[in-house]
Parts: sequence; structure tokens; C-alpha cells
Amino acid sequence: MSRTLIVWAALAALVVALLLMPVFFTGYVVYIANVTLVYIVLALGLHILTGEAGQFALSHAASYGIGIYTAAIVNKSALGIFPLPILAGGLVAGALGLFVGLVALRMRDIYLALATFAFGEAMQWVFLDWSSVTGGANGTQIAPTAIFRYQILNDKQAYPVVLALTAILIVATLALSRSRTGSALRAVRESEVAAMAVGVNVRRIKLTAFVLSGVYAGLAGGIFTLFSTYIGPESLGFQTTIFVLTMIVVGGLGSVLGAICGAVIMSLGSEMLRNALSYQEIIYGVLLMGFMMYASGGVIEPLRRVWRRTGETANV
Amino acid sequence: MDFDTALIFLEQGVASGIVTGSVYALLAISIVAIFRTTAVANFAVGEIFMAGAYCALYLLVFVKVSPWIAIPATVVVVFGGSALFQAGVLRAVRRSGGPINLVIATLGLSYLLKGVVRQTGFGETPRSFPSLVPNHSLTIGSAFLTWLDLAILTAAMLIMVGFFLMFNYTRLGRAMRALGMNQRAAQLVGVDIGRMNTLIWGLSGALSAAAALLIAPKLLLTADMGTVGTMGFAAAIIGGFSSFPGAVIGGFVIGIAENLVGLFIAAHAIAVTPFVMIILVLVLRPQGIFGGAQEIKKV
Amino acid sequence: MTVRNRWGLLAAMAVTLAGAMPAAAQSDPGVTPTTIKIGVFGPLSGPNMAYGFDVIKAAQMWYDKTNQEGGVNGRKIELVIEDDRCTPDGVIAAVKKLVEQDQVFMLNGGSCSAAVLPAKEYVVRNQIPWLTLNASADGALYPPTGYIFGSTSISMHAAGGSVIDFSAKNFGAKKIAFINHDDAYGSWNHEAAAYVADDEKVELTAQSIQPSVTDVTAPLLKVLAGKPDALVIMTYARPAALIVKRAYELGFDKPIILTQTGSANLDQLVENVGTKDAFKNFYVQDVMADVIGGPKIKWVYDMYKTYYPDLAAQPDHPGAYMPYGVVTAQAVVNALKLAGPDLTREKARLAMSTLKFDTGILGGPIEFRPNDPAGNRRTTYEKFDGTNHTMLPGAYESTWVYKAP
Repeated sequence: MSRTLIVWAALAALVVALLLMPVFFTGYVVYIANVTLVYIVLALGLHILTGEAGQFALSHAASYGIGIYTAAIVNKSALGIFPLPILAGGLVAGALGLFVGLVALRMRDIYLALATFAFGEAMQWVFLDWSSVTGGANGTQIAPTAIFRYQILNDKQAYPVVLALTAILIVATLALSRSRTGSALRAVRESEVAAMAVGVNVRRIKLTAFVLSGVYAGLAGGIFTLFSTYIGPESLGFQTTIFVLTMIVVGGLGSVLGAICGAVIMSLGSEMLRNALSYQEIIYGVLLMGFMMYASGGVIEPLRRVWRRTGETANV
Repeated sequence: MDFDTALIFLEQGVASGIVTGSVYALLAISIVAIFRTTAVANFAVGEIFMAGAYCALYLLVFVKVSPWIAIPATVVVVFGGSALFQAGVLRAVRRSGGPINLVIATLGLSYLLKGVVRQTGFGETPRSFPSLVPNHSLTIGSAFLTWLDLAILTAAMLIMVGFFLMFNYTRLGRAMRALGMNQRAAQLVGVDIGRMNTLIWGLSGALSAAAALLIAPKLLLTADMGTVGTMGFAAAIIGGFSSFPGAVIGGFVIGIAENLVGLFIAAHAIAVTPFVMIILVLVLRPQGIFGGAQEIKKV
Repeated sequence: MTVRNRWGLLAAMAVTLAGAMPAAAQSDPGVTPTTIKIGVFGPLSGPNMAYGFDVIKAAQMWYDKTNQEGGVNGRKIELVIEDDRCTPDGVIAAVKKLVEQDQVFMLNGGSCSAAVLPAKEYVVRNQIPWLTLNASADGALYPPTGYIFGSTSISMHAAGGSVIDFSAKNFGAKKIAFINHDDAYGSWNHEAAAYVADDEKVELTAQSIQPSVTDVTAPLLKVLAGKPDALVIMTYARPAALIVKRAYELGFDKPIILTQTGSANLDQLVENVGTKDAFKNFYVQDVMADVIGGPKIKWVYDMYKTYYPDLAAQPDHPGAYMPYGVVTAQAVVNALKLAGPDLTREKARLAMSTLKFDTGILGGPIEFRPNDPAGNRRTTYEKFDGTNHTMLPGAYESTWVYKAP
């Protein structure tokens, strides 16, 4: 059998398994799946910015937070009809991304990282302090989403929608990666001057990366509101940003499939470690250092080698 | 607020700010020392600081050795640990990855240290170790300071002066400066890069440990006290991120700003102050106060 | 449309329908003729372990005692315990697992208010009775939902309101300085403190600080500027130690009252402050009828020692909040008994909403009311000079009542 056929068959089996999962598992398992899917979207967003465009920015959680709060607020308003709250989340977060991008245009490497780190932390403080809008330390309760006249009241009901939206974004990211814009992003990552020399509008590409990354994070936030009942500032800080960064690095920096794998591994892994008492931090630290030392190409690297050995090259 | 209260607040804010600022300055120097010579941003500086504090706690309170042994022992342990991290982990990371990977490796270290300290069980309740300085106080103007405050300030200044002398007038310091200016050239004139990197990390760790020893009696120890690292970064950035005098000034600026914001704006705005300052500096004057002209990197 | 897409669409539709069908419940989950399954969750690990570890242990021992005495209306209580690490994500995951995976009858969990708040909507939507462990949980209790009960230690509103009552009545204070945190707890305790201060015509000067604060000079100077008659500290242990120390250094000699939020380990507090002189005029807010180790509540500590001899031999065990585990378990057991042998979730929650009983531990009775699901409204006070604890007579009540906006 040709290799392509095997891959398509495996993919088909995966899709069917994913669709049928809620029938065979409890709502709790589906909740974990929903959370993982949101992480996949977050990882894809950061992949575009850091993996493809090489911009080391550390404010992802802030865009995510903006997406969640916006979607939650819009959902309670007269415009609370699906998919408006989610799109609103993506839009506002994208605008925030544009703002960060404009300011960050001049910054490089560690200065970009530090500035975006500070910005992310400052945003978390805003979430905490602007009580009239975000509920402050008490957080915001999220009302159920309504699709036409039908209300989504639990994880199992939300799952098909979450899965579909994530799938759309995965396809979109793959398409972006293979497009000319994708090549331009990677060119900027390798060398801004060389990219300029071949006619890439570096300024515009960088801004595109920042905006897209924001949009993805905002959409992830909107998707989060489909199955969650609460959001508070405590989970929207540097730790979450680092968690997502770890996903794309552990998965394989620069690879869409890597980002997805990384998200799945880290999300499921942290759930399994939830009851591992105080070892969580130790394991996490050792994991990070270990990967950086010995497997900097990420989990995807060995897979890539197998792929190459079995014949045609592919740019997943 | 009337003028008299405002003046009292100002004096107190500046005085307290100078004390905590001197400790932030030490952390900032620690950060700049590494960045200037190896171009790595050490995101684990806060946790190394925290580990130093707990090491001292363990020796002073649980093993009950005298401070004359505990203090140098702590500095040596943290020096060794940091050097080990550079030699063992970072060198391997540098071979296979870029700057992002190095920063993530330091993040890994920060999680590991936090987890280990929590594991020991000492981190659950906030702890302290006995103050080495008697509990007296004095007033300067309307500002109120304890003898401990003055001890902290004096010790910090001595350490900073010592470091400055070392950096500018010894052969070791010269090697460090050469490394920072141009790695390849430094190698050509005989600087052993590998050993220098390890040594610099060790030294940076020692500075963080010193900062911890100074401020822990004032701050109380918890496993999350590493957040002070952010202050160190803010101070380093204000100073220009590659300048030592800048880092020192930056430390004092942050310390004073923290207090003044708390007194004149609101206590809950203190937390966001370092972040706002980082953003303002990086946006308006990225080279900081002492950074000179902006660097133009060769492609 | 390709073959795969059409089947995918059908599968998706089937899945949506499956998820949409309401649970056809004959009887409530978690109840069999011989057992009642209760879901317990709290911080068994992590930085907030001290708030919940021994509380859960204490609840376990009370449930065990109940089983040994015959159970509840002929049924034995079965516990499923989850670690939530006192984080919102941890609480949500623990609750969802207990409800959907373990199919518990009701919930008895939560030691950290800010962490339990996220589960409110989920629990109410699924109509599950829930009594918190020792979390103040004001955000989950108000506005009352009918399903969520709590504060069998003390709600933040009651703690904040009653400490003002105490300061005003016991010291005749007309101006009170108040330092708390700018987090969820802080907004609750301040709301009631301001209410009671207004009620009793007392001037309240408040400052909110971040829990991670390093220098308390600024907020302390601000509240002391008006020369208050008493200083109330409603912070966690670490900032509290910094405040007591700084206040002493600044020469403040009026009464200082430390509330529940920071009084977990008073001996460590003295060590952290560094001198017993700072405690000359120092009071600690209590919820229990006696000081820790005092005769009135000795039976709880004896019980703990019998059940957990190895733990009791270790330092820091039992933790300061341990007895609350017994109180909350008592409330669950009493409510279930009251609900009768024909047990449903509706009956259990209705029984809880009017439950009143004396615990033998707290300074006042546990009393739930339909318009107030916070069971304990009274606090007691002790004078602590760094070594000796002296219980003061009387219990002080917060007069704050929830009013819908």
C-alpha cells in the first residue's frame, strides 16, 4: 500500500474515533478533550508567531484572556448569538496583537521577550483590577452559548462544536504554512535583511504574524467559553504563556504537526500529573531542561526522520 | 493629602526604597553579568535567589550552624549549583539550539528549584531566620529605618563595589569584558570560553545568594519568593541591560518607585509598577539610562 | 461530498443528539440501599496544602465514626477524595471527575474560596448539593442558589463584619485601620467590615495589598496616618508578620487584631516577627469555642491522635484548620439524617437549608437559613502575648446581610 493511503486511512480512523468519543466516555473525559483542543488552537497561534515568524513574544496568555472576557461579555449582551461572541473574542485579541506588533516592530530577541513579558503581566493585572468589566478577583461567570435556539449546557454538547472549530483552524494553519505568506514568515525568521532583499515587506509580515497570533488566541478564548462556566485572572498569566511555549518547543519548533503534538502531550500529561502531588513542578522542570538538551527538534523530529526514510519528503 | 504628610511619605518612600533597591541592584547585576558575557537572559534568577535563601534557612535553623559558617557555605553552594547548571545543562543546550532554547532551559531550572523546595516541606509556612543585627532603629529626617535596613544597604554597596573592582581591574574581569565584546576575539587571545561561562554563572549565582541572605530577614521565605526576580529584570532594563552602574541605579529607581507608587497612588498598584516601567523603557528608550547609542547588529 | 465527510456528518449529528438527551434518572446517583457516595476535594498538595490536608483527614475520621455508629439511616458513607491543589483548574477538574466519573451523591469539598468559585455554575446547573469544607466561599454562597452551602469555618463577610464589632465594642475604638488583600477574599471581608463600621458609627480606613508584597511600609503609613484606635489585619500569614513587625518598629502600641486569614501558625508568626515585645497588645480572631489545645475542644485533637498517630507525631500536624473538617462532616451527616431514608438530592439540600445544631467545637451554632447559606456567623477572640493564649469571653456577630443589588 502506498504511504499516502496509509496516512489518509489513519487520519480517517482518527476522525471517526474523535467523533464517537463522547458516546463511550464520561463528560469528564470529554472535558479534558475540550481543554486539549483549546490548547491546540493556542499552540497554533504561537506557532505562527514564534515557530514560523521567529518572534519570541511572551504575551500569549493576555490575548487568550482578552478573547475569553470579550466572548463572555458579548455572549451576555444582545449580540450573544453563536458565533458572534467567539468572533468578537478573536477580533479584539487580534487588535491587541496589532498594537503589540506595532510597538514591537523595532524590538529584537530578548528585548522583545522582556517587553511582551511585561505587557502580559500588566494585562493580567488589568484583568485583576478592572473589576467593573472583568469582575476583578471574583472573575466572570460565563453563560451558556446558544446555537440557534439550542443551548450548550455541558462538555459533551460543546464537544462537536469545539472539535469542528479546532479542525477548521488546523486546516487554516496548514494552508497558511504552505502559502507564500508562510514562506515569507519563515524568511523573516531566518534573516530580516535577506527577506527584505528578496522583496518581502518585513514590516507587514511581522504585523501579520502578531495579528494572526492574537486572533488565534482570541478564538481559543471564545471556544473556551463554549464549555466553561467561569474565568478568573489567576490562570491568565506568564505561567500559561510558558505552558503554551513549551508545547510548541516540545512538539517541535516550526512545525504545525509539532505544535499539535506538543499541545496534546502537555495537556494530557498535566492532567495525568494532576494528582502527582508536588512532583509536578519537578517533572516539568526536568522535562523542559531535558528536551532543550537532547531533543531540541521536539517530538516531531524522530517522526520526521521516519517519514523521510520511507520516501517522499513532506513539509508538515 | 496635605503637604506635611506628603513630605513624610516621600522621605520614607525614598529611604525604604533605597534599602530594598540595593538588593534589587544585586539581582540586576547578577542578570547583567550573565547577559553581557553570554547573551542569555536568566529567567531562573528569582528561583536561584529563593534556593539560596532556603539553603541558608536549612543551615541556620535546622542544622543550627553559626552564621559565620552558614553564610559562606550558602554562597559556595549556590555558586557551585549555578556553575553546574551552566556546565551540565546550558552547554548541551547551546550545542543544539538557539536563544529561545536557552531561555526555556532556565525556565526549566526555575520550575525544578521551586518544586524541590516545596518537596522539602519547608516552603509551606512562611519562614524566617534569626536576624544577625540587633533590633534597633533610627530616624533620618522623618524617615524610619532599622539597623537591619542599614546593614542591608551597607553590605549590598560593599558587594557591588567589590564586583565593580573585580570587573574593571582584575585579569578575570578583563577576560569577562573581552568575552562580552567579541567571543571569537576573546578566544583568540587565550580566553577559555567554556570555563569563563561556567565561572560567570557561578559568580552570578553567588550574587543572587548574597541578595537572598541580605533581604530574607526582611522579606520572609516562601517557595514563591522568586517573583522578586522580576524586580531585578526591571532594574537591569532601566539601566540598559548591559551596564553595571546602570543596573545599580536601576535597582534604586525600582525600589523607590515601588514605595512611592504605594504611598501616593495605591497599594494594589505596586504590583504592576515594574511591568509598566519595563514597557516604558523598552518602548521609549530601549538602551536604558546608560546604554549609550542603540546597538546596530551585524547581520 | 466525499464518503468520509458524509459519515462524519452523520456521526457528528448522532453525537450531538446523544449529548443532548437529558439524563433519564430513576434515582439520584451515588445512593444505593446500603451506601451514600460523597465527593470530597481539597488541597492535598501544593502551596496551599496547609489549608486542606488535615481538614480532609478530620472529615474522614468523622465520617468513619458515623459509619461505625451505624451510618446514616442504615446507609454507610463512602468517600471519594480528589486533590484540587486550591487552583480553579484543579477544582473544576476534581468536581467534574467526582460528579461525572465517580457519580457521587453530593459534594463536600473546597478549602480555598477563590478556587471554589469557578465550580458554582457547574454545580447549580447539575443540581448537586454542595457543602464546602473550610472555604469561606462567599462568592459561591451569594446570591444564594439553594444548592451551595458553606463557611462552616467562617465566611469572609462574617469574619470582616464581626472583627469590627469586636474592635468597636471591646476597645471602644472610634477609628479603625484595616489592611486586607486586593483579591476575592478582600472584597468580601471589606464589604461587611464597611457595613458594620457604618452601622456602629465607626470610621474605617482601609488599604488593600497584594499577597506577594515585599515592603509594607507604604500601606501601613497610610492607615496609621489618621491615628487609629485599633489595627485590624485581614491578610495571609506572611504579610501579616511583616505588618506586625513594621507596626512595632514604627512605634504603634494600640490593639492589633489578626483575623482568621493569617492566624494559622502563631508560633511561626512570633518567630517571623522576631520579638515578643510586638505582641504586647495583640489579639487573634478565633472561630472555635476555645484556644487550640484548650479543654473545650480537646476531644477533637484526641480523636485526631487516635485516628492518625503517625501524622500527629510530625511537626505542623494537625494543622490549625483541622477541627473544621469535623464541623463540615457533622453538617453533612446531620442533613442526610434529617432528609430521611428515602434519600434524594432535593431532600438533602432542603434539609441542609434549615439545619441548625451545636458542634461542640465552634463558638456558636451552625445555622443555615434559606436566605443565608453561610452556617457560621460568630467569631471569638483570644489575647496572645507571644507565648500565652487567653480566651476572651463572648462571641461577636456580623450583622451584614446579603441584599440583592
